[in-house]
Amino acid sequence: MCNCQTIMPSYEAEQHIIAATQHILKALGASKNLSDEFKRVLTELDSHLSTMTIITETEGGRFSEIEEQLKHAERKIIRWESDPCLIWDSGPMEATEYLQAVNEILIVIESLGGLSLSENGKPKEIALRAQNALQRAMSRLEEELCHILFQHKQYFKPQYVLLHSRAEGVFYDESFASVEDEIVDETSQRDGEDRESAECYLDLVDPCVIPNIKSIANVMSASNYIQEFCEAFIDIQREALYEYLSVLEMEKLSIEDVLKLEWDCLSRKIKKWIWIMKVIISVYLASEKRLCDQILGDFGSFNSFCFIEISKDSVLCLLNFGQAITTGPQKPEKLFRLLDMYEIMADLHLEMDSLFSEDNGSFIRIEYHKLLSGLGASARETFMRFGNAIASDASIRPFPGGGIHPLVKYVMNYMRLLPDYCDTFNLLLKDQDIDESNAVVEIDNGQDFSSSTSCPMAYHLRSIASSLESNLIDKSKLYKDDSLQYIFLMNNIHYMVKKVKDSDLRLFFGDEWIRKHIGKFQQHATSYVRATWSSVVSMLRDDGNTNLKERYRRFSIAFEEVYKNQTRWCIPDLQLREDLQISTSQKVIPAYRNFVGINNRNVSDKHVKYTTDDLEELLLDLFVGSPRSLHNSRRR
Amino acid sequence: MPGTEPQPSFLGRISIRRNQVSAMDVNHDPELEELELFQKHVADRFTDLLSPQEEVASTETLLSISWLRKLVDVFLCCEAEFKAVLIMGRDPSQICKPPLDRLIPELLDRAVKALDICNAVSSGIDSVRQYQKFAEIAVSALEQKPMDDGQVKRARKALNSLLTAMKVDDKEKDFKGAERTWSFGRRGNTNPFHKERAARYFRSLSMIIAKNWSASKQIQAMSSNLVPPRGGEPTGLALPVYVMSSVMVFVMWALVAALPCQERSGLATHFPIPRQLTWAHSMIGLQERIGEEWKKKEKKGSVGLLEEMQRMEKLALNLIEFADGFQFPGETEKMEEVAAQVAELAEIFRKMGEGLVPLQAQIREVFHRIVRSRTEVLEVLDHAAKISQPTT
Repeated sequence: MCNCQTIMPSYEAEQHIIAATQHILKALGASKNLSDEFKRVLTELDSHLSTMTIITETEGGRFSEIEEQLKHAERKIIRWESDPCLIWDSGPMEATEYLQAVNEILIVIESLGGLSLSENGKPKEIALRAQNALQRAMSRLEEELCHILFQHKQYFKPQYVLLHSRAEGVFYDESFASVEDEIVDETSQRDGEDRESAECYLDLVDPCVIPNIKSIANVMSASNYIQEFCEAFIDIQREALYEYLSVLEMEKLSIEDVLKLEWDCLSRKIKKWIWIMKVIISVYLASEKRLCDQILGDFGSFNSFCFIEISKDSVLCLLNFGQAITTGPQKPEKLFRLLDMYEIMADLHLEMDSLFSEDNGSFIRIEYHKLLSGLGASARETFMRFGNAIASDASIRPFPGGGIHPLVKYVMNYMRLLPDYCDTFNLLLKDQDIDESNAVVEIDNGQDFSSSTSCPMAYHLRSIASSLESNLIDKSKLYKDDSLQYIFLMNNIHYMVKKVKDSDLRLFFGDEWIRKHIGKFQQHATSYVRATWSSVVSMLRDDGNTNLKERYRRFSIAFEEVYKNQTRWCIPDLQLREDLQISTSQKVIPAYRNFVGINNRNVSDKHVKYTTDDLEELLLDLFVGSPRSLHNSRRR
Repeated sequence: MPGTEPQPSFLGRISIRRNQVSAMDVNHDPELEELELFQKHVADRFTDLLSPQEEVASTETLLSISWLRKLVDVFLCCEAEFKAVLIMGRDPSQICKPPLDRLIPELLDRAVKALDICNAVSSGIDSVRQYQKFAEIAVSALEQKPMDDGQVKRARKALNSLLTAMKVDDKEKDFKGAERTWSFGRRGNTNPFHKERAARYFRSLSMIIAKNWSASKQIQAMSSNLVPPRGGEPTGLALPVYVMSSVMVFVMWALVAALPCQERSGLATHFPIPRQLTWAHSMIGLQERIGEEWKKKEKKGSVGLLEEMQRMEKLALNLIEFADGFQFPGETEKMEEVAAQVAELAEIFRKMGEGLVPLQAQIREVFHRIVRSRTEVLEVLDHAAKISQPTT
């Protein structure tokens, strides 16, 4: 190439040589000493040279025209290099002119086309200058692009809406003692209205500058600088997303940090995460994707490449938090949060798949699905452990007063929240083994609840209820007094039935279960009456040996003993308490009235310690949970 | 639903392997035999890492992408075998007794730290992929024939971005504050006389990683309580736990050293391994070689131990120097030299293109494997706790 340069003449020199040769040919042509053949060759050569001259002359003209064009464009490009202002800030005219200049350079390069650099001299010089100017312009455009994107990015700060706060406040401690009925009463509306917000787009960049960005993309692509465009675009947009996450107060936590968090704090963060996932995936990333489509839609794979590079880090950061949650211990209180997380991810998974549908998005898609199934497995495992925890919750001492055991409160209130997650749950539990003994499906009622009583969740709920029941039986055995065993079982089974009847749980347990369990607690009530009162009433019976006075005395002592004991016992449900008092009355009062009626003439009043009315009144003191004694106050 | 199919049971796969192993047994104590076999396999694998077989030695240079892929494979193999030794066919109550009642929780704690390291390293791979992009731009510019000023400048710019991005990642801690607060506003209308150009943001490792997280502290914490079982102790499972922990710490350490990672100061010090163990020799050999490389890096102030990255950095510096002195059309001799360097750079980014994505996928596999194993060990612990509990 270098050799050529020394031999090959420049454009002007070339013109001179052609002119000189033509001159020589003319002179030769005038000579008479030449053969015809030689003359012919000379004429041919002459005409050849003439056309050549014409060509080079027009080429020369074109070159100078091209050179002018380049000079003009270069001037515009160089002028901005010393200007501290940004072109697109200086007005649309300026921007159009600048782009015009770049296009002129492109035309120059284009028109030099084939000859350009392999040629020498003028064309080559022009081509080099054009490439150089193009590089400077591209560098400048990249900067302008960054600036436009940065200056015109738009933030929207969505209101932090608490989604799914259904399972608020169910917390677990080893004693199960902290759960009160009131805490769980926040059955909140489910995300009916939230779901509508899907499919909404935001303008992440002021729409009025989109054409500007697009025109930069077009010219950079035409100049073969699309990679540079993409890198700059990615950098800015990735940073904007990153910043947006901090606006949403998304914290970056290592897995180790997450595992160290206290439950309350973790629960708050999970709720926040759910919300952020929703905002980021269905709103922000959808909008980002649209922006990429608007700007890079014509550039094939660059479009998806940019989108993925912009979003990858943030998506992985979000998924990592989810991963940390599944890594942590599977305590029962986590179940609802896990289900919330699972549900939001299941809801968003189609959107995710379409956002990252390209091959290069498979990494994110796979991670997303891995987390989704991890959360499902974790929820399932947590639920199973919950069942096991109930079965193995052992007490050493009997629960005082025979009232509602905290475990029952906890479990029932916990279960009451599950119907909200029915669909998810059925999906997750589908393949689990089902204990057939709990597969009570009723066919006899007209309502179409049969499907809900036979779904996997229904089996599992009933299975949990049945482990709870056997646990209660174990616990009841801790009481030395049979009657208290019955009271305890009656109270607790009644509580279970009530919770089932008063909530959506009834659809899953079914009428059959409810009937059966009403029967059970009623049976315990009957057993109680028999266990406590049969012996008391039997004191009144004439056994042939005991005189009347003694029978009164023994009855009173027995009654007082029961009174002293059972006023301490507790039936928290007023209706249930009243019912039991009534059935107790029905057992005791008629027998006593009868006894008094028959014997009142044979015994003086001082031996009759209690009238029938007294007894009736005293029975109302039973099961209130505050111990009383009759030894002094009631004595007449 | 896609992705929710249960993974093929790991234990199922292992049991097949165990049967195969026990079929080969000639020793009378299968447990002891198994332990020795485990150690032997670990030793073989690390020997292969230290001095690869001749036919692959040229492609598997220490700390190259393909070497790292092999390293990660070694981890996965050791881990699978370890779990077989630890869990399969063993009386679960054994792992609740001393010294395992202390060693297992320590192991699980290390596993959690390793998960965070996997994330950090995976993010580091994305950084390298960004360098790769810049290298690609530079190569395509410099491959233009003949090379002109515009293209040389274009390449210079890309190479400069490449080096800056590398430095940002390497100096993550110091750079974060300064770099990230730079604003494009400084070049706007607000200050028309300001001549400074806008700063470019580069991808930063801190996008995924928690703010104060430090890779070197993690490694330190993982190895601080790593002590070989003493001779007097009933070894039993204590030894394999130690072996696996050493493998884990070593692999994480090597990955952190090789790939861009947040806060890596003091990485040259490595944890001590007693030489008398069969596998110790090659692991110590590797520790020393990587440690030396790290010291060199710190001395030179270069940015990464990944072999391809080191070469990329060197080539980028050379080519920038060339670009600064370039005048069209350039001296023939120089141009030939440059062409060779460009070809080398092209070769590196091709290798990165082939190797980084699979390496990243492997590291994710390590991540998921650790998660799974941890869950399985926790289950065994849970089970064992239930058995040992007196029934009430």
